[in-house]
Amino acid sequence: MPHPLAPLFDGAADIQREIDRRDPDTTDHAAQTAGVINTYHPKRLHLTVAEVITETATTKTFRMRPTAGEDLPPFLAGQYVNVFFDGTSRPFAISSSPADLDSYDLTVRRVPEGRISNLLVDTLRTGDSLATTGPMGTFHHNPLFHGSDVVFLAGGSGVAPAMSMIREIIDQKLDRRLHLLYGSRDQRDVIFGSSLDAIAADHPLIRVDHVIADPDPGWTGPTGFFTADLIDTLVGPLNGRMVYVCGPQALYPYALQQLSALRHPRRRIRFEANGAPARPEQQSHWPADRDPTKEVTITVADKRFRSPRNRPLLDALEDQGIRPETACRSGECSLCRVRVVAGQVHTAQEAKLRLSDQQFGYTHSCVAYPMTDVEIAL
Amino acid sequence: MEMQPDRRAPAATRTDFDAVVIGAGNAGLTAAATLQRSGARTLLVERHNVPGGCGTSFRRGRFEFEVALHQLSGVGAEGQSQGGLRGLLQTLGVADELEFVEEHDLYRAVVPGALDATLPADWEGAADAVEAAFPGNRSAVEKFFDLLRRVTDWQIAAMRGLPAEKIDPDLFRQGLRSVKDVLDDHFADQRVKHLLAAYWTYLGQPPSELRFQDLALTMYAYFEHKPFHLRGGSQAMSSALLGSFLRAGGKVRFNTAVEAILTLQGAVCGVRLQGGEEVAATDVISNAATPLTYAMLDSGVPAVVGKDLSSRRIGVSGFILHMGLDASPAELGFTTSTSFVNTDLDEDHTFAATRSLDPVRMICVSAYDVAPIGFAPAGATHVSLMTLQYASVWDEVRPQDYAELKFRYAETLLDLVETITPGIRDAIEEVDVATPLTLTRYLGHPGGAIYGYDQDATEGWLFRNTERESHVPGLHLAGAWSGFGGFQPTLEAGARVARRLLRYKSA
Repeated sequence: MPHPLAPLFDGAADIQREIDRRDPDTTDHAAQTAGVINTYHPKRLHLTVAEVITETATTKTFRMRPTAGEDLPPFLAGQYVNVFFDGTSRPFAISSSPADLDSYDLTVRRVPEGRISNLLVDTLRTGDSLATTGPMGTFHHNPLFHGSDVVFLAGGSGVAPAMSMIREIIDQKLDRRLHLLYGSRDQRDVIFGSSLDAIAADHPLIRVDHVIADPDPGWTGPTGFFTADLIDTLVGPLNGRMVYVCGPQALYPYALQQLSALRHPRRRIRFEANGAPARPEQQSHWPADRDPTKEVTITVADKRFRSPRNRPLLDALEDQGIRPETACRSGECSLCRVRVVAGQVHTAQEAKLRLSDQQFGYTHSCVAYPMTDVEIAL
Repeated sequence: MEMQPDRRAPAATRTDFDAVVIGAGNAGLTAAATLQRSGARTLLVERHNVPGGCGTSFRRGRFEFEVALHQLSGVGAEGQSQGGLRGLLQTLGVADELEFVEEHDLYRAVVPGALDATLPADWEGAADAVEAAFPGNRSAVEKFFDLLRRVTDWQIAAMRGLPAEKIDPDLFRQGLRSVKDVLDDHFADQRVKHLLAAYWTYLGQPPSELRFQDLALTMYAYFEHKPFHLRGGSQAMSSALLGSFLRAGGKVRFNTAVEAILTLQGAVCGVRLQGGEEVAATDVISNAATPLTYAMLDSGVPAVVGKDLSSRRIGVSGFILHMGLDASPAELGFTTSTSFVNTDLDEDHTFAATRSLDPVRMICVSAYDVAPIGFAPAGATHVSLMTLQYASVWDEVRPQDYAELKFRYAETLLDLVETITPGIRDAIEEVDVATPLTLTRYLGHPGGAIYGYDQDATEGWLFRNTERESHVPGLHLAGAWSGFGGFQPTLEAGARVARRLLRYKSA
């Protein structure tokens, strides 16, 4: 019903006629909106293992297909899904090509002291199902500023996103060079070895150099670590090329140091997030007087429990069966953001908090540690 | 105050809350805070993990990016007036937690080769600027501004219920004319008209479609109360409002979707959350999109509402580049926070192009470090490039082609911004692209609409009454879909709807 004043306005009658004459919009907007979100950015994927490929003695690729048969959402080469398993979750980069949306390949390697990776490698079989997030993450080529000539420093299973990027270049016939420096402990640890060598032989835009830290006799290629000299020898002058780095945590400060020695600008280096710090108490801002192994009391809603200071709040909550939303588990996606109601919480350097989070008492629970007895709100 | 037990509910029905608010967007936050602070036990339910809806930000590298707040209207200088948005934020106890960053210009408008002028954020200064750029227009501008002020004053009075005979007839003669027609009355030079109508971007309809009273209200709000940014961005305001709600004892559930609005004998009796949990409440304020709110009703959409909604058009969305630049605003040549850059003076053509992936013809450039909000490190700049685009553009695109087309279109925004900041590409340290599909995902709005329904002639308080009359007892709507879009209007709508509910309950 028009407002009582409407008839006094010049032109109101025409507008009312227009309203009355319009073709009715009969779209089911709820269904259409849900359809768009499910096609591009579903919150959860339900996937079934279609195939298990043994890559090395410690590494398997799980080819995951949608359990219900629909196409998988598009992703950018380099992105990950967070895999929910055994009461917790771990993010894994997709190693397959974004041109193939029938399945995602998740390449998982056993890690010393690892729990979920090892459990997946040891127990996940063809036909098993699990839930993941949709594809996420910012570690991907961005054509707006990354350029068409890039370098990738991969260590160990950090080759997974590189593999996806390489496959994309080939499948989509992109005019983009990628030079992969791939570090492994020994020859038997190399993942995708024969595929990478075959691709490099066939495609002039792709170059692959294996760097073996501890080679068997007979290895004639480069050895050791990604030193500035080695990078310079293998890839030549960097000239502002974008450098992607993905691998074990220890690789990152080392790679940054070596690239800086080559005067490569920080903003042309992109590190893939890789979990909460293994030793948070070793970061310089960890309060000196806080014994990292001592237990404190955590209160959340009507639950109260003890957990050591050096266990991330997210993991401590999961230990109690409380499952905050989460994806990167490395401090950057912010999905596990919680409010600190009382007590002191220490946040690791990895956390990419918003400016206002600090003011209003929020932190990212995957990289936050209770220093005192604390109360948390989800 | 104590809320009275509702007589509609059967005696056996347990009432968990007095009210449930669906969605922690601007209107949801002010509604929830207003209710709880008045003693109504309120549950706020939000699908995402952060409050704010549009009012949020995200981190990339060394930068934080403001998602949606371009210029906050209605704040006013401290002590300027007790009303307005600042007054509302004071009432809710959050004004002191926020740092308002004033912009001294409304905007710079650029059409390469035709126009480059900046309007200061005061009536006199703006008239001077038009005269300086296009001599001979001063008296016409003053006349135009005078009409704009009067139409706005009387429109506000009319909305507040002043009887018709006390209202200046100029409102009735001019209010529903198109912006284009009113500008044509005053000016001959198309460049002047383009300069003065640049805010059409914030309303999502070109000057030929936009009603004069709608643009007048917008310009008036910025001239009278100045445009502001917020330190910490709109997320700071969203978090502050949530804090106000929580301090008053409100309960919030994040990562939780409302699956259904439950009714008993036609009246609201609660909601069912995703997962099946039911929450009893006699009132629901929905900050969700209006068509989706009605789709949640377990009793179906009332026929009269269905007819009304089917005559409304899902509004325009946005395509945005969030950029972190490794250069200072001065190095980049930004002297004003907000710039509108158009390829030519033909707004109708530009608006038509919002339904295509043809090279972009208009961008709103927001440089958040001319008056810094704290999102870029020293010596760097956070800039967003925004254009209007309908989500339907992407309907025919195959999902596997989405990324390539998104980046290709994004390049055209960079091409256009290069006309005012040559070499800006070389300074890019971070850039992320949001499309209408991104906005659909984060807002949950049909079409990724950023201002609700198309703000055309048919959409407005004279012809639509969703906010005051939902046709379902106990259901209330607040936000861009049931009124004006934008930050100030939606923040005020939530508080207004909540106050109306409180008055009704205590009557």
